[in-house]
Amino acid sequence: MATPQRAVVSAIRRPVRVPAACYNHGVAKLSVRYPALPLMLAGPPIAPARFLDLPPSVPPPKPLVLPLPNVSVLENGLRVITVERHSLPIVTAQLVVTAGAEADPPGRPGTAQFVASMLDEGTAGRTAQQIAAAIDQVGGTIDTGADWDDSFAAVSVLTDYTDLAFDLLADITLRPAFAPAEIERIRKQTLSALEVLQGDPSYLADAVLRRLIFAGTPYSHPADGTPDAVRQLTAQDLQRFHSQYYVPSRAFLIVVGDMTPAESVRQARRCFGAWRDRAVAGEANAVPPREPRQNPTAVAPRPHTTIVVDKPDAVQTEIRVGNPGVGRANPDYDALSVANQILGGPASNRLFSSLRSQRGLSYSASSELVCYRDLGSWEVKTSTRTSETVEAARLVLREMKRLRDHPLGDVDLKAAQDYLIGHRALEFETAADVASQVMEFTTYGLPFEDWNRVPQRIQSLSKEEVWKAVQHHLDPDGAVIVLVGNAGGFPKDLKKLGPARVIPIDRLDLAGDGLERAAGAR
Amino acid sequence: MLLAARAAPVKVPRATLDILRLPNGLRAYLVEDHDAPVVSVEVWYHVGSKDEPPGQTGFAHLFEHLMFEGTRNLAPDEFSRYIVQAGGTDNAHTTEDATVFWETVPSSYLRLALWLEADRMRNLVITDRLFRNEREVVKEERRQRFDNQPYGTVIETLYAHAFTVHPYRHMTIGSMEDLDRATVDQVRAFYDTYYVPANASLVVVGDFALAEAQDCIRQYFGPLDGGAPPEHRLPSEPPQMTRRVIKLTRDVALPAFIEGYHMPADGTPDAYPLRLASKILSEGDSSRIYRRLVYDKQIALQAESSGNFTEDPNLFFVFAVLNRGHSPAEGEAAVDSEIARLRNEGVTSQELSKAKNQILRDFVLNRQSTQSRADELGYDAVVLKNPELFNTEIDRFLRVTAADIQRAAQQYFRPENATVVEVYPNEHAMGNR
Repeated sequence: MATPQRAVVSAIRRPVRVPAACYNHGVAKLSVRYPALPLMLAGPPIAPARFLDLPPSVPPPKPLVLPLPNVSVLENGLRVITVERHSLPIVTAQLVVTAGAEADPPGRPGTAQFVASMLDEGTAGRTAQQIAAAIDQVGGTIDTGADWDDSFAAVSVLTDYTDLAFDLLADITLRPAFAPAEIERIRKQTLSALEVLQGDPSYLADAVLRRLIFAGTPYSHPADGTPDAVRQLTAQDLQRFHSQYYVPSRAFLIVVGDMTPAESVRQARRCFGAWRDRAVAGEANAVPPREPRQNPTAVAPRPHTTIVVDKPDAVQTEIRVGNPGVGRANPDYDALSVANQILGGPASNRLFSSLRSQRGLSYSASSELVCYRDLGSWEVKTSTRTSETVEAARLVLREMKRLRDHPLGDVDLKAAQDYLIGHRALEFETAADVASQVMEFTTYGLPFEDWNRVPQRIQSLSKEEVWKAVQHHLDPDGAVIVLVGNAGGFPKDLKKLGPARVIPIDRLDLAGDGLERAAGAR
Repeated sequence: MLLAARAAPVKVPRATLDILRLPNGLRAYLVEDHDAPVVSVEVWYHVGSKDEPPGQTGFAHLFEHLMFEGTRNLAPDEFSRYIVQAGGTDNAHTTEDATVFWETVPSSYLRLALWLEADRMRNLVITDRLFRNEREVVKEERRQRFDNQPYGTVIETLYAHAFTVHPYRHMTIGSMEDLDRATVDQVRAFYDTYYVPANASLVVVGDFALAEAQDCIRQYFGPLDGGAPPEHRLPSEPPQMTRRVIKLTRDVALPAFIEGYHMPADGTPDAYPLRLASKILSEGDSSRIYRRLVYDKQIALQAESSGNFTEDPNLFFVFAVLNRGHSPAEGEAAVDSEIARLRNEGVTSQELSKAKNQILRDFVLNRQSTQSRADELGYDAVVLKNPELFNTEIDRFLRVTAADIQRAAQQYFRPENATVVEVYPNEHAMGNR
């Protein structure tokens, strides 16, 4: 059996997304001729004497028609969303509440994640070790966590153990004990994890960029918390968050796998039927939608905000460049997805070509459209050796400007559309893939019918529509630049990037908008 | 718990495996299924970092990168452009034992994927400029994935000391010095030795029609010059007679350690009890090492054990990052007492059934995507040299007894068979906080 452990010593050509903490957690000449050599002729195949020197033309894939989830609503308002897949004997049940790190109370960053970590650490009826023993014994898994707009607990089991899975899922989400000893244990773990992350340049670069792009919104703090906040969190803070947000009217249950919708509703009713909303004062912090910015070409060039975090032992600089973006339901989302694919989507893209294929400056260069409920960001990530820091950042800005200032080509547009449409079959392949699509669509209030409409919408976009969206939402002149690396080794022309502020790593303060604590303060 | 005492009666899916051998030596392994409208193609070249002579570490992986840099028929990066435009995903990875190229595409593009793989198997064209560029990319990869990561080079230190003669002593990524020494002249020789049909295995899994795929394979790969199967003659690592301890100081916040015990190759009889032992030691919050180090004593932030199972004998290791105020020695003592308990007392029947259920779960999860099925099949065929294991290996796990696990623990988890790397935060890192 191939083991995941082999990855420890293997090397991969293109990076895959790695978790923030080390310890755990890429057209042109497709010819339109129909197959170069018709192979479907009857009779035994004949191997040609020489290799064909043109790739074969193939018919485009049949349009993908995805089966849509079955949605039922229980009497208490809980939505039960089932996607049947009977090819393998496995079931995943995942309870999601639509409140995540964005709902962390002021001064209490990390609350949502802390609450999620506590779910399987003991309930009214089971100790942490009883939960662990029960799920491990049947070879199942429990996974809990909080993202920005939602928190979740997921239990996966082989089909024979679905009763247990629903029992455990309901127990950990509805009745977590928040026992003092377990809180202290998780607190210690979280503080240790944060200590390790303080030495992880990639984590720091992401966190600083977030502080700057999302300043003034509930999305700017570190979702993992800060050491001070984690030390201060009380059982009461955790209980309050849980009672406020873990309620049926804010929740939905996703069931994917070897189970019929009728059976998943029966299980949901059995385990979650008595769950009721509690009357709680004070609703979630509503985030005001950002006004779309005016056409930036009408705005005079502004200096960049450049933040350098000086980490003297770094052998590479983590580079982030970004600007505010759009919420997930924004009408420009599809156009921006196409634009992002051209700029820095998987594999074949302008950043990869410019920084890696042409210049050998980086192993990875990509861009990402990050979309939350009402707001978002557009971010470029790369890393390079210390001596090339300024050149790499300059090339990133150059590619952002090129995308904003020059009309798109037909080839660019078609390549991106073909990828986004063709790739959908892979985005729905595994149960986990499907669950994450259900979660995104439900959290952001998008209709499942869009699963089968998106390809047509993307196909119908014109170059002009995509370019117009870029001009509205990509802002290379005002972008935030974050460089985490050995500032002492940076080239002298750092000022090319605009005025830079250098923060020594031991003075970096992710808790405050100022980003820096006074010398000597902890 | 009655439920708990049995190994799950879950029906494990069995696949129909078709094997095709071409006159030039290429072997193709095909599993047709229609769960999703996608197909995965993998080409396994039986060459990895263990085939690198001293002074050329990292070359197998560097070469892997070059395979995307153009052929007589395609420009650099054009390979991936075809795949991406098809809506597919492609990549490659290199291990100690093999270099694997893969793409997953909507099923109508199978023919294109096969052509692309056949093309780069024998038509590669690499210029000096491309070579130098890609070498810089690989050096950036080393910095990003190892040198610039907390604890990123600890495993490298472990292997450098645990192995004295076998080439597993160096990492697949290679050293910066050796990467700098590599030349474009070495590329052709490496290509002609290892990237030949006689040393390649093709894996196709997913939504396709068997006869059509076989015809296509014959058409595209059949005309390629076969070459000779390369020899893999490697020195065996002598038994380790004394415990080795290495102390490192690094710019990390928390101390850590890793213990590595020599163990047998994957696919050998003892590999199966050892895999189950690793589940019992550290998989899940009820596992022994997790429970002792992380839960009860709260010595460690994270503690895990795993075997790096490979073609030749490798290491079983235990790794832990300690909480502030706890020393590597304290963590090692706790791990060693769990290891001793495994040797002296063995495992309970409940622990055994738990571990088997976890293996069954992994088995089922690994059957979810066409790519993970292709990974498994390729590994079985090339590294374990028995493609039928794709269906039957699970039985080897289910036959393991508690006595097998205890015997394997006694044989391999001996103090003198271990190499330990202890990592201490340097003053700078300590002073930060």
